[in-house]
Amino acid sequence: MANPIIQIKDVRKRFGHVEALRGVSLDIEEGEVVVIVGPSGSGKSTLLRCINRLEEYEKGSIIVDGMLLDNNQNINAVRREVGMVFQSFNLFAHLTVMQNLMLAQNIVRKRSKQEAEKVSRELLVKVGIPEKAKSYPSQLSGGQQQRVAIARALAMNPKVMLFDEPTSALDPEMIKEVLDVMASLAGEGMTMLVVSHEMGFARAAANRVIFMDEGQIIEQATPDEFFTNPTQERTRLFLSKILHL
Amino acid sequence: MDKQLKDNPNRELSFVTGGEVNIRQDPWWWLVAVVIAVVALLVMLQPVPFKEIVVFARDGILITILVTVTSYFLMLVLGLFGGLGRLSKNKLVFGISTLYVEIIRGIPLLVQLIAWYFASPVLIQKIGLWLNFTPLITYRANPIITAIVAITVCYGAYMSEIVRSGIQSIPKGQMEAARSLGMSHLQAMRHVVLPQAFRVILPPMGNEFIALLKDSSLVSVVAVADLTRRGREFMSAHFNPIETWLMVALLYLILTLVAARVVSYIEKRSRYDR
Ligand SMILES: Nc1ncnc2c1ncn2[C@@H]1O[C@H](COP(=O)(O)OP(=O)(O)OP(=O)(O)O)[C@@H](O)[C@H]1O
Ligand SMILES: [Mg+2]
Repeated sequence: MANPIIQIKDVRKRFGHVEALRGVSLDIEEGEVVVIVGPSGSGKSTLLRCINRLEEYEKGSIIVDGMLLDNNQNINAVRREVGMVFQSFNLFAHLTVMQNLMLAQNIVRKRSKQEAEKVSRELLVKVGIPEKAKSYPSQLSGGQQQRVAIARALAMNPKVMLFDEPTSALDPEMIKEVLDVMASLAGEGMTMLVVSHEMGFARAAANRVIFMDEGQIIEQATPDEFFTNPTQERTRLFLSKILHL
Repeated sequence: MDKQLKDNPNRELSFVTGGEVNIRQDPWWWLVAVVIAVVALLVMLQPVPFKEIVVFARDGILITILVTVTSYFLMLVLGLFGGLGRLSKNKLVFGISTLYVEIIRGIPLLVQLIAWYFASPVLIQKIGLWLNFTPLITYRANPIITAIVAITVCYGAYMSEIVRSGIQSIPKGQMEAARSLGMSHLQAMRHVVLPQAFRVILPPMGNEFIALLKDSSLVSVVAVADLTRRGREFMSAHFNPIETWLMVALLYLILTLVAARVVSYIEKRSRYDR
């Protein structure tokens, strides 16, 4: 069997006194969809941000697609292969949707304008908003913005996609349109690491659910097992809280 | 927008008639027109001394514009680097730019001008003597260049802070999104952060231009023959302070009012882009 596409070994990270990650180890296989859940402050975002080095970790190692995240060159190489979708979308406010999709294709992937435009149009069709190419982010709904953000990340042809609570800033009626895009991406075999408390998505699309608390992985299992038969007391406590919302 | 057009037929007209667009859209142009008319009237009705003053001060106006525009663009460049330096993670770069900003902002521009003009040549000559290097020993300050340097250095410090706060006003997520797409820090700055920060700092940038235009009158104390100095020369030759300073003030007013209109036009344009 091939090596895991992401290998995380005993990663530790602290912010001043706060230990955000206390020795996290995790392997992600190619094509796997992993959902991470856990209470606020448990280190879920920090873990994702360490994988593309938006945060630096102090101890341990992270290898993405065979590249160890240590020098600057590798960091940029890894970032090209890893797409990230943020809770707050973070679309470039001064650019149109089309320009948002094209910018990094031009200057990072060095694609020609025609090629970048073709890729962008296809992706906008894929996320269901081809008619918004000329709009600015401020003219879109939250759900549309998040779909553009997904398309923007996909435009770089990443091997892995990281999602940090992609739907938690959205109005309820827009959550589904974003989850649908993510589910179809999972169906195509994209490797995905998703921080989300959307249990429906986890049950439908995930291969594995991971529970984090206080900077550690407490439990991991298939969605079925995880939601119906958690082994750890802390997991049960957490699930009872979010399932009764 | 469409509704406004219908409610106000004059507005609709203004879009067709090209030349008047500015005046119709921005009523403050009328003030400019009125001040220019007053000057024209004074010059025509009382050529002595008003026309004489204008003719005498003509080259002074050009020097004022030259000094203002040159130091403005130079100080924008300096302010960009100063602002980036104030945000640098490199301690040396951060330290130097912070020191620059804090020291320069604590000294009056007039004192800086005088120091550049009278003190720096002596210093350079002393260094020349020490190195035994003739071009430095015989160094003489060129008034206009010295004035431009002094204003650039001084205004660059204020501009650095404007640039810094402009960049800081852009949400961190913009930089993170750019970096996560594989852009380098420099690319992200250039293509994502700075274009957005530019819109934020445009209004204070415009204010700086007008402030600099007015402060440029200080260069008259270091032998630059700008509008103010030419006014002083005219007054001492003809002993008519009231007429002289009325005219000089009106000429400055025309310059600043026109500049203010141009600034507000540019601001509006950049807002419509979005
Ligand atoms: N930039 C930072 N500076 C200081 N402390 C931070 C920073 N980022 C995160 N932390 C702290 O690290 C811990 C883990 O934060 P993290 O954002 O990873 O949690 P999370 O599981 O994503 O929580 P949430 O569900 O609220 O998003 C928290 O205690 C948080 O306060
Ligand atoms: Mg988080």
